[in-house]
Amino acid sequence: MEFKDYYKTLGVPREASADEIKKAFRRLARKYHPDISKEPNAESRMKEVNEAYTVLSDAEKRAAYDQLGRGYRPGQDFQPPPDWDSGFEYSTHGFSPGETADFSDFFAELFGRMGGMHPHDRGAGFRTRGEDHRAKVLLDLEDAFNGATRQISLRVPRQDSQGHVHIETRTLNVKIPRGVREGQIIRLAGQGSPGHGSAAAGDLLLDVHFKPHPRFRVDGRDLHLTLRVAPWEAALGAVVAVDLPQGRLKVRIPEGAQSGRQLRVRGRGIPGEPPGDLLLDILVVLPSAESPHARVLYETMARELAFDPRHETQGSSHG
Amino acid sequence: MDDNDFLIGSVMEDAWLTLEQIAAACTADPEWLAQRLGEGCFPDAESVAGVWRFSTSSILRARRMRQFERDFDAAPELAALIADLLEETDSLRARLRRAGVDNT
Repeated sequence: MEFKDYYKTLGVPREASADEIKKAFRRLARKYHPDISKEPNAESRMKEVNEAYTVLSDAEKRAAYDQLGRGYRPGQDFQPPPDWDSGFEYSTHGFSPGETADFSDFFAELFGRMGGMHPHDRGAGFRTRGEDHRAKVLLDLEDAFNGATRQISLRVPRQDSQGHVHIETRTLNVKIPRGVREGQIIRLAGQGSPGHGSAAAGDLLLDVHFKPHPRFRVDGRDLHLTLRVAPWEAALGAVVAVDLPQGRLKVRIPEGAQSGRQLRVRGRGIPGEPPGDLLLDILVVLPSAESPHARVLYETMARELAFDPRHETQGSSHG
Repeated sequence: MDDNDFLIGSVMEDAWLTLEQIAAACTADPEWLAQRLGEGCFPDAESVAGVWRFSTSSILRARRMRQFERDFDAAPELAALIADLLEETDSLRARLRRAGVDNT
């Protein structure tokens, strides 16, 4: 296990005051806030910052950490001596046991016992429901059509007979139902922390997110796709094939379709009750005029079609 | 591996959630949530026959508010205001995505 330098994580000297530590934490909490941060690895950096602040903002934890960490360098191999923490009494500072379970093994080893990772030790007869856990699940758009299976690894605090808490990894195989959407939450009842006494276990809540798709844009259950069509398909009308995650679909382009026009195919979006729609944004794409034959065709159209594309807008412009 | 080895989850979508479920989902004390509710910080929550019910979007709102209060000592009203602004940002980002504009 590597030693973690929490002072370095927060960017403060070892003699920093409580106020300086709080200010440093807030500056970093703003910098790595998941809703606005553009920093790479913002989420994992925020976890490190939260972990460091949990220790350094608590006078008892900080004193114990300072005493134990004297002489260690960041990354150096580290094993705490047995019962090193006797004489210290820790409290939690705003982070729930489920949240501190996300912290490092270093934190679990040092502060797992009495450190707020098992707040249910409140005497015989005490009953409280286990805490809910959260995890993110990242899906492909195709998974919304076909359903999916995912293996999810969770870090779970477990207490041994001496009262020490160790982090264990628990792996679950989960079926993702067909028709899920961005932002939905999938609940796995009873897969959170165990309850205390005879109370029920908490739930595992999976936050559903989708990877960006190179072709489709998703809005709820509706699918948006830019459909590129040739000028003659747009002008004359045509039936064109569109590849969708669930197979190929033939779509009729109406005669006289223009770029920017939207075609709606009902019920061909993400499945559900009701299913979403497929929305095709027409984009007319011109063939290149590089070949002599194509040039002749364009020149013929220019000569023989009385077409002024600016006709409708010329009245309001001076150009 | 057969189907029995897989856990099948339920989508928390159209179901209404109770105050206790929202509090558990954001690892907060129900009392904390009840106070914020009393202060009008959850405008979408409804009281039906004296029982509060929430939509699933309240989970994210509660998580954000709790985080701002904890990390920045924000007053509940300020945390609710920031949550309002982030929800507005989410909505605008979704409009950009629909329009095919990459806003990551």
